[in-house]
Amino acid sequence: MGTVLSTSATGRWLGRFEAMPPLAWLGLQAVALWPHWRWAAGRLADGSDDPLGLAAVVVLLGWVVWQAHGLRGNARPGWLMGSGALTLLATVSQAVAPPLAGALLAALALACGWRAIAPSGQATLPLAGLAVLSLPVVSSLQFYAGFPLRLVTAQCSTWLLQLAGRVAERSGTAMVVDGHLVIVDAPCSGVQMVWMAYFCACAMALLGGLRERSFIRRLPLVGALVLGGNVLRNTVLVALESRGPLADAWHQGIGLAVLAMVCAVVTMLMREARDAAPQ
Amino acid sequence: MPPLRRVPFHPIRPLTHVGRVMLCIALSLFAAILTLAWSPARADDAEARKGESPYFFIDNGAPGTDRLPLKSTAVDVRISGVIADVTVTQHYRNEGQRPIEARYVFPGSTQAAIYAMNVRLGNRLLSARIREKQQARIEYDNAKREGKTSALLEQHRSNVFEMNVANILPGDDVAVELRYTELLVPTDAQYGFVFPTVVGPRYGSPSAADAAGRPAWAATPYLRAGVDSSTAFDLKLRVDAPIAVKDIRSSSHEIQVQGADTAHAVVTLADATKASNNRDFILSYRLAGDRIASGLMLYRGDDQTGGENFFLAMVEPPKAVPLQQVSPRDYIFVVDISGSMHGYPLDTAKVLMQNLIGGLRPSDTFNVMLFSGSSRMLAPSSVPATRANIERAVQALTQTSGGGGTEIVPALRRVAELPKPADLSRSVIVVTDGYVTVESEVFQLVRRHLNEFNVFAFGIGSSVNRALIEGLARAGQGEAFVVTKPAEAAAQAERLRRMIDSPVLTQLKARFDGLDVYDVEPAALPDVLGGRPVVLQGKWRSQPGVPASGRLLLDGRAADGPWHQELLVAGHEDQTSSALRHLWARQRIAALGDQESLVGGNAEKEAITALGLKYSLLTPYTSFIAVDEVVRNPNPSLAPTVDQPLPLPQGVAETALGAEVPSTPEPAAWLALLVVVGVAGVALQRRRAAVVA
Repeated sequence: MGTVLSTSATGRWLGRFEAMPPLAWLGLQAVALWPHWRWAAGRLADGSDDPLGLAAVVVLLGWVVWQAHGLRGNARPGWLMGSGALTLLATVSQAVAPPLAGALLAALALACGWRAIAPSGQATLPLAGLAVLSLPVVSSLQFYAGFPLRLVTAQCSTWLLQLAGRVAERSGTAMVVDGHLVIVDAPCSGVQMVWMAYFCACAMALLGGLRERSFIRRLPLVGALVLGGNVLRNTVLVALESRGPLADAWHQGIGLAVLAMVCAVVTMLMREARDAAPQ
Repeated sequence: MPPLRRVPFHPIRPLTHVGRVMLCIALSLFAAILTLAWSPARADDAEARKGESPYFFIDNGAPGTDRLPLKSTAVDVRISGVIADVTVTQHYRNEGQRPIEARYVFPGSTQAAIYAMNVRLGNRLLSARIREKQQARIEYDNAKREGKTSALLEQHRSNVFEMNVANILPGDDVAVELRYTELLVPTDAQYGFVFPTVVGPRYGSPSAADAAGRPAWAATPYLRAGVDSSTAFDLKLRVDAPIAVKDIRSSSHEIQVQGADTAHAVVTLADATKASNNRDFILSYRLAGDRIASGLMLYRGDDQTGGENFFLAMVEPPKAVPLQQVSPRDYIFVVDISGSMHGYPLDTAKVLMQNLIGGLRPSDTFNVMLFSGSSRMLAPSSVPATRANIERAVQALTQTSGGGGTEIVPALRRVAELPKPADLSRSVIVVTDGYVTVESEVFQLVRRHLNEFNVFAFGIGSSVNRALIEGLARAGQGEAFVVTKPAEAAAQAERLRRMIDSPVLTQLKARFDGLDVYDVEPAALPDVLGGRPVVLQGKWRSQPGVPASGRLLLDGRAADGPWHQELLVAGHEDQTSSALRHLWARQRIAALGDQESLVGGNAEKEAITALGLKYSLLTPYTSFIAVDEVVRNPNPSLAPTVDQPLPLPQGVAETALGAEVPSTPEPAAWLALLVVVGVAGVALQRRRAAVVA
C-alpha cells in the first residue's frame, strides 16, 4: 500500500514532525533549555569557572553521534514523561532556584530524553554523570566541599608526616612542618581531582558499556581513591616545601603523577566491574 | 476509493544517518548562536568589599576607562629664612571615554600646615572651603551623586593624605593646587627640606579588626617593582636667605643649582623626565659661616586674621661638650626584618647596626630584637658589649633576610616588659621603615613606659614613614634619624653616639619679660640632645600703635654648667610673616594629637576641629572641599572610581605587599585533563586489543 498523506495544513505539519528523527527531538529539547546553557556559557566566559565541562561536552557529543544510527523511533513513554517533567521543572526553577540547580535539572532532563530514545541495554547513569560534569560545577564544588576536603587532607597529611618522624602540626587548613608554614588553600583541596576522577569513571563506564548497578557500586570507591590520592600528593609536596622553596615543575609533576595513578586505578575498577558483570 | 488529492509538495522523507548528524550539528550551532547573542552573565565585583591591604595594580578595567588619571605633579617651593611655602599642583586628566572619580593617596611632610586648596577646571577657579571632616564627606558625596565636578582632600595621618576628584569627564583637565607652609629646623647648622613623593605600602595586622589597625586608605594599588610611575614629577625650589647659601645638595635626586653661594639660590631637578617620584626629595644646605637663622619673629595680626599676634623664637644651643664621665647604658636594638625591609633597606639597616653596636663601650650592655610577624631576642638578657658579643650579634644580623609582617606593637610591648635594674639607664633604638598603620598605638605604648627608657628611632629607606619615626622619638624623648643608604649609616650612628654622650641642655625653661605671651608651644621644653635649636611658638598681646618690647629669657643646664640666653623683642616685628599663624596652629594641633594618642580615642577632636576651622588647616578632623555648581555628568552613577596606583618606593621589594606562603596546588587543569584522556585512552586501547585477541 502506498503512503497515506494528509492533505490538511495541520496534518502535513504533524506529518513532518512525526517524520523527524529522534535526535532532532532531543535537539529541540536542548534548544528549549537554552537559558541554562546560556548561563553555563556565561560562567565559562567570565572566568568564574574552569572550562573543564567542555571536555565532558565533547565526550557526550561524540557518544551521541556514535549512537545516532541505533536510536529508537518510538520513545519509551516513561522516560519521555520523566524528561518532560524535568524540562518543566528546569524551566520553572529559573524563577525560584539558583541557576546551577536549574542547569542540573536541565542536564538530567536531557539525559532522560536520551534514555527515552537510546538503544536497549545502555546505561544512563554514566551519561547523566557526564551531563552533570559538563556544567560549571567546579567553583560550586570548591565553595561547598573545598574547605572540608582541605581540612581532611591537612589532618591526614599531618598524621602521615608525624608517622614519618617529622614535627608536624595542623592549624585550621594550614600546616607547620619543622617550623615551616605551608597552607592547604583552595587550589590544594583536590576538587579538580574529584572532577577528573569522576569524569574518567563516567567516560570509561559509558564507553565500556558498564551496567548501572556496577557503576553505582564503584562510585564511592572512586571518591575514596581521590581522597587518598590528594592526601598523598599533599603530603609529598608539604614534606618537600618544608625543606625549602619548591619549583613549580615539581608541583606539576607530582600532581600529574598522582592523578595518573588515581585514574589508572579508576579505569581498572571500571574494567574489572565490566568483566565481572553478567553478559 | 476516491482518488487522493495531489499534494502541492513532496512529503519529507526520513533523514539518513548523515542527515541526522547534520541536523544535530545545526541545532547545536543554533543553540550556540542563541547563547552568544544573549548577553552572557558577568561577574560584577564593583560592589565587592575592598581589601584593607595594599595590592598590586592590574590594568583590567573596563575599556574606555582611564586607569591612570593623575598625569603630573608639580611642586613649587619658596624658602624664606626658616619658613617654606610650598605649592603642589596635581593635574588629573581623563583620557578615557567614560567619566571617572579619581582617588589618590599621597604623602606630605610631617610638619606641613596645609592651609589652602584650589581647583582649576578649564578656565574656572574653584576655591576649596575647610569643613568638618564628616560634613565635607557628605557634601562631596552629594556633589558626586548630582554629577558635579568636586574635589575632597582628607588627612589620614600627619603625613598621609587622600585626594578624591569626582566627575572628571572625558577630556577634562583638572588641576588641584595645594598650599602648605612648613618650619625648617636646622640640625648641626644644616637645613633640610624634604618632599615625600610616595606613601610606602602599609602593613595592616591581620589581628587588627578595628579601622585604626587596617584603615581603608591603606588599600592602595602599587605598581610592580621596577615599573615607573606614569605620573610626571617636577620640582622647583627657591631659597631666600639673609646671607649666602652654600653646600646645596640632594642625597636623593640629581639637581641643578643656580645662584649657589649667594643669598638667592634656585634648585631644579636635573632631569625631570627621569622617574623621580618613587622616593623622598631630600635637600640640604647651609648658611655661610655655618650660622643658623636664630632669633625672634613677631607678627602683628589684623582684622582679617582675627587680630591675633604670633611669635616664633629659634635659639641656637651651646656647643656640645663630651661628658668627662659617661655612665654605662643598656641598649635594646629593635630591628624590623619584615617583608618591606627585604633587600636594600635591610642591607642598609645591617650596615647601620654594625656601626651602632660596634661603637658601644665595653661597659655598656645590649641586646637585639629582630621582629617581623613575630619577634626574637638574640640573647635571653642583655649582654656586655664585648668584642665577642658584638661579633656574634653582627653575624646573626647578617644572616637574616626580610620577610613577613610588621608586628611592631607586640615587639615594643615585649621590650617594655624586659626586666631592668632601677639604677640602669636604658635606650631603645628602633630601626624600621615604619610601614605600619598603628602609629597611635606605638606612641601610646612608648609614652606609658617613658620612665623606663627613652627611644631613638632610625628610619631606613628612600620613603620612610617619617610620622612614625619622628613620633616615636618625640614620644620617647629621643631623636629621629633617617638613613636612606648604607653610606649614611656611619655618620648617623656617630650622631646618635654624640647625642647620648653629650646632652646639650637639660632643665630648660623659657619666660618672657615685658611681653604678654600666651598659648606657648611647647608647654614644657624638652631636653636639647644636640645640634638642634630651641624652638618656641606662641601668641602675644599688643596695644595698638605700641611696638612690641621685652626680652625672652632662656635658662638651662649645659654639660659645663648653667646656661642662660636672652633675646630682645624690640625690632623683630615683621608683617610679612603671616605664616606664623599657620605654624603655631599646626604645632598646637600636633601637641593635641600627641595628647590624644596618649589617652586614646578622639579626646581632642573638638579642640582640633575648632583649630582647623579657625585657621583653615587640614587636620585629622577637618577637610578641604571644592564643588563646581554646574552639573556636568548626567549619569554620575556610571562613573567608576579609579584608584591611582603608586610606584613601589625605591629599594623596596615586592615582599612589602606580602610574601607568598607556600602551598600545594593541584597541577594545571589542561595538563591534568591531558593525563586523564591519556590514561583512559590507553585503557580503552588495551581493552579493544584484548577483545580482538
